Amino acid sequence: MTAIVRTVGLVKRYDRTLAVAGVDLEIEEGEIFGLVGPNGAGKTTTLRMLATLLEPTSGSAEVAGFSVGRNPNEVRRVLGFMPDVFGVYDDMRVWEYLDFFARCYGLPASTRRRIIADLLELVDLGDKRDTYVQGLSRGMQQRLCLAHALVHDPKVLLLDEPASGLDPRARVELRELLRELRTLGKTILISSHILPELEELCTSVAIVDHGRVLASGRIADIERRLRVGAVLRARILAEGDGLEAARAWFDVQPEVASAAILTDGTIEVGFRGDEVQTAGLLRDAVAAGLSVASFSRAASDLEELFLQVTGRDATGADPQEVPA
Amino acid sequence: MSAALRVRLGRIGMPGITAIGVKELRGRMRGRRAFVSVTIYVLIVAGFAWMVGQILENSVRQNFGFSPQYQSASIGRGIFIALMLLQTLMISVLAPASTAGTISGERERQTLDLLAVTPISSVAIVVGKLLSALSWVFVLILASVPVSALVFVYGGVAPDDMLRGYLLLFVTAIAFGALGTFFSSLVRRSGAATGLTFVAVLVATVGLSFVWVFAKATQDPSVITKPPPEALLYLNPFVAQADVACGAEGGTGGWCQIIAEITGTNAVFGQPVGGDFIPPAQVVPAPMGKIGVGVGIERAVIANDVVVNDVVPAGVAPGAESLRDRYWPRSALTLLLLSLGFTAGAVQLVTPGRRWHPRSTGFFRRIVSRKSS
Repeated sequence: MTAIVRTVGLVKRYDRTLAVAGVDLEIEEGEIFGLVGPNGAGKTTTLRMLATLLEPTSGSAEVAGFSVGRNPNEVRRVLGFMPDVFGVYDDMRVWEYLDFFARCYGLPASTRRRIIADLLELVDLGDKRDTYVQGLSRGMQQRLCLAHALVHDPKVLLLDEPASGLDPRARVELRELLRELRTLGKTILISSHILPELEELCTSVAIVDHGRVLASGRIADIERRLRVGAVLRARILAEGDGLEAARAWFDVQPEVASAAILTDGTIEVGFRGDEVQTAGLLRDAVAAGLSVASFSRAASDLEELFLQVTGRDATGADPQEVPA
Repeated sequence: MSAALRVRLGRIGMPGITAIGVKELRGRMRGRRAFVSVTIYVLIVAGFAWMVGQILENSVRQNFGFSPQYQSASIGRGIFIALMLLQTLMISVLAPASTAGTISGERERQTLDLLAVTPISSVAIVVGKLLSALSWVFVLILASVPVSALVFVYGGVAPDDMLRGYLLLFVTAIAFGALGTFFSSLVRRSGAATGLTFVAVLVATVGLSFVWVFAKATQDPSVITKPPPEALLYLNPFVAQADVACGAEGGTGGWCQIIAEITGTNAVFGQPVGGDFIPPAQVVPAPMGKIGVGVGIERAVIANDVVVNDVVPAGVAPGAESLRDRYWPRSALTLLLLSLGFTAGAVQLVTPGRRWHPRSTGFFRRIVSRKSS
């Protein structure tokens, strides 16, 4: 598979601050790619450079084979962009809003009518066709903005913090919508600082901080590469000393970092191994005569990954120096 | 049209201008707002015209003891000139006001990015917005035409004088509208853009004209000199309208004296006074007085009896035709060039990424990137 979005050494400098300090990304066609990072990590700047709104200080970026710097117009035709903060025009009805952007892409009238109907259907605003845009709820405006980014049937969608400011229900709807778009063959690049949102959605992520990509790839790959600890929960049918013996057994197994008995009687095991080794541990436990009632691997969440990669602890303290 | 040119025009973006235009006009002309503003504008113009007409008729009655109908032509001219000056004033306010919020408004509403990632060019964005904002002003100007045309009932004004006056109104709207668009793309806030635009309009009209008046007044009267450069007044559409008024007067009235002062030409024959220039205010009154009064009455009679609209009957004021268009075309051209410049500036300011550097050159780009990094 070929990369549809590729950046090489992308740098953006504002006077003194280095907003993006050499970002290399490769995003394959059909992926939902998450750009994760704290506020100010350079996500928005990266997306705006890809969207041809900012000129990189150095480095290059390509979308669908077109250089962002040299062929901005070609890039704009294959790209749909939804900025993190966006406004809506007053005095415009929903269909007029979409009609306007469709005109901007030079679509003929008959096509426009069909596409607007389709898109309103897609984003579930079919019954709001003649409503004024400013009368829509925030979630609806978000979906309308997404629809506007789709009028020209772009190959790549750039979504900057699409879920910010949405209530949980609107978020779920948005997620469904993005899944649907993926089945339509769109490549979606989505940035967020809200991690769980991306975890369920993305095929790959890049973790960004201080303008650099700290890790990227499939979530499972990153996890493996970083050997991030997983948390195993084992329920052993034993009490008192038996339970303590079981804990002690877990404690000395290879790749086990820690083992502790929780108040509800399950044993929590900090485990550095991968899934194969997890299976091996279970096999060994059963072979060692432990009555294992349940044994599960708590999904390591992106949040944990993220904290580990960015080197921040839970208090938000920042151990790294800002690169000059 | 060659294929290359067509491609170029396409890039500049007729479709984009249409898209912006349709969108803007949908917003601006929706509902009652456009209807109400046109009505108010026409009522103001009509009311003003009626009042000026009353004033002039009364003054004719009192000062000359004539029945006003004998001075019909000069009353008509007076109304015409008053209408043009009033409309120039209103346009000088309305045109910048309607454009000063166009680009900054997009920025404030955070919709400019949405536009900038579409293939429409910055030229299309700026020109589309300018034209649709101006179209509202144009509608106002055109709506006043029937009112102004009532002047023809009085006579004294030729249709082509009216045409000149209206042409200048359009030019005024375009120039000050472009100024508003420029400041709107320069400044982030619409309020600040509006303020700056009005300051700029004031400087262009009152400010520079005052500099001219100052320079004129401080000239040493004992030395023969030319008047200060008339270019200082080119940005003042009121002066240009005064020249149109002079054309309507047939080169013999007070407006022509003003223009004569400015251009340094003989008020009557339009000849440059040249090396041995004598300020027209001192020389002209003698012949002016005679010819002015004589022709004035004579023509008023002619106007009523024979040719109502023919302002400058051949033979009455020989050489008067050359007094037309001495000044205003230069002013109009300057205003148009100015609007071109400001529009180009606005386009540069709106273009994302490549501000101030054209796509190809290395030298320019190097200078700019060194400065910005």
